[in-house]
Amino acid sequence: MNKLVLLDDMARQIPDGATVAIGGSSISRKPMAMVRALARSGVKDLRLIVDVGGPDVDLLIGVGAVREVIYAFVGFEFLGLAPHFRTARQNQSVGFQEWTEYTIMAGLDATIKRIPFIPTHAGLATDVLSVNPAFRVIADPFGGDDVVAIPPLSPDFALIHANYADSAGNGVILGDSHADALCAKAAKTTFLSCEQVLSSKDLQNLGAGVQILRIHTTGVIEAPWGAHPTIMAPVYRLDLMAMKDYLQQASDPDLWLNYTLEVIGQDHETYVKRQGGALALKQRLGVSST
Amino acid sequence: MTAEPYRLDELMIDAMARELSGEVLVSSVTAFGALAGLVAKAFYAPDLALLATPESGMDVDFLPSLSLGQFFILAQRGIALGMEEVFDAIFLDKFRIWINPAQIDQRGSVNISAIGPWATPKVALVGSRGIPEDTSHLSKLCYYLLDHNPRTVVAAVDFRSGAGNTAEREQRLGRIGAPSVLVTNLGVFDFQGAHGQMQIRQLHPGVDLTAAESATGFHLTAASPVATTPEPSSEVVAFIRQHDPLGLRHMEMQKGSGAAKHQDQAWMDERSLLEAPSAGEGAL
Repeated sequence: MNKLVLLDDMARQIPDGATVAIGGSSISRKPMAMVRALARSGVKDLRLIVDVGGPDVDLLIGVGAVREVIYAFVGFEFLGLAPHFRTARQNQSVGFQEWTEYTIMAGLDATIKRIPFIPTHAGLATDVLSVNPAFRVIADPFGGDDVVAIPPLSPDFALIHANYADSAGNGVILGDSHADALCAKAAKTTFLSCEQVLSSKDLQNLGAGVQILRIHTTGVIEAPWGAHPTIMAPVYRLDLMAMKDYLQQASDPDLWLNYTLEVIGQDHETYVKRQGGALALKQRLGVSST
Repeated sequence: MTAEPYRLDELMIDAMARELSGEVLVSSVTAFGALAGLVAKAFYAPDLALLATPESGMDVDFLPSLSLGQFFILAQRGIALGMEEVFDAIFLDKFRIWINPAQIDQRGSVNISAIGPWATPKVALVGSRGIPEDTSHLSKLCYYLLDHNPRTVVAAVDFRSGAGNTAEREQRLGRIGAPSVLVTNLGVFDFQGAHGQMQIRQLHPGVDLTAAESATGFHLTAASPVATTPEPSSEVVAFIRQHDPLGLRHMEMQKGSGAAKHQDQAWMDERSLLEAPSAGEGAL
């Protein structure tokens, strides 16, 4: 079974108006090669679902590809606020639904289990329930305290970046798996990119490390440095300079136009070369895995 | 008296560490939170199960690093877990985290979502993240602020990312989610005043009542008599310095160009702390 696809062919399969769930967490293991491919495909009106978002959400808002964002968090951690997200929130140019970390997971899980909602206490007595019309506070049918009903979140597509995958679509995530497996299972179509494609035999040696099962995967993309400039544990660290470069370009319309052409607009191989190439990236960011 | 001088960050981290106890997961989303967990485990609460973020490994030896403004780990060294494990620990009340909000108010409600109205924010912040889960499931909520001033310690937050001592929280959740403690650069505060109002528990050495009052956006009361925050022992101070060679706790306290320079320096220094891969090393 061979599900290998090329990055830009993957992106062309995602139509205007699609709902796309993105894995990773803030500045960690974001599927940035797929996100950049999606951005240069010219797609519009995306509805994004992210538990903990960062440069993924910010970049797609920046190129005008986004209609609505469902999120628990979007930011750059110690590097501060996400510039395009912040602007779009403040001038209301994009729709936003603020959820919370667990309720996003519960919404994906409701889709997986094909049930109308999942009850939780999460969010009670906070303003998230006031500003987010998606939730309902309902009586416990068994007579206990009220609960919050979390409706299904149903992505058309999920984008996941793993350390390894085989061509059949099994994926291994060596660091924190965040909510990626939920995204992969809840989406109708899951694209799995990876640092390296392994034979199924080698992949299976990683045993319990296989978190993404091929029955949920539609396409596999080999994209070394595919999380750059975010962290890819345990292989490479944050590229602080590339991240700061992004933040600077994103804060000025002229610079940003140039960035969309020169950086986002080029294919992944060109992107890696522009960062100095694989060898220089390894010198700069590589972490020994032994 | 300590034999060795200490700094404000070390005093605060020690005060934060003393609040942690038991056999629970401790999150480390910030340098202060991570160091408080490390100090607590070494000196006050040996059974704590520390998480190293961003790769939520449990029971790991942290490698101090910049990667999330906190601590990078080699993921294989710890017990790897994902968000489902973390949230199950939250639901079971086996989880503690030091939360650094943008605003906290006199009832201990906290905000990291928006300054101004949520729908038309003056400043859009990051979004409530997992704080609503924390305040609907945990029996102990710990907050800290590095810059206690009338814009951060306010009469009423602009948005409740986390529930404080409100009638709604008490009706829906009882004592769950009630704010327990706030450590700031001026002192240690609890929420044991009338109607769950924030009050002074301790002031740091050299901080007087007037300074705390003028830095607070509402009328601040004090438990009497106001105690002084204990100074960290020389062992604790040495431990903190040893475990944060990149000075990420100082970086967290800085703003603007000072912070930017510190980040650049820490990122370069981090290169030598993390073992670089050898030239011939394969991927597996």
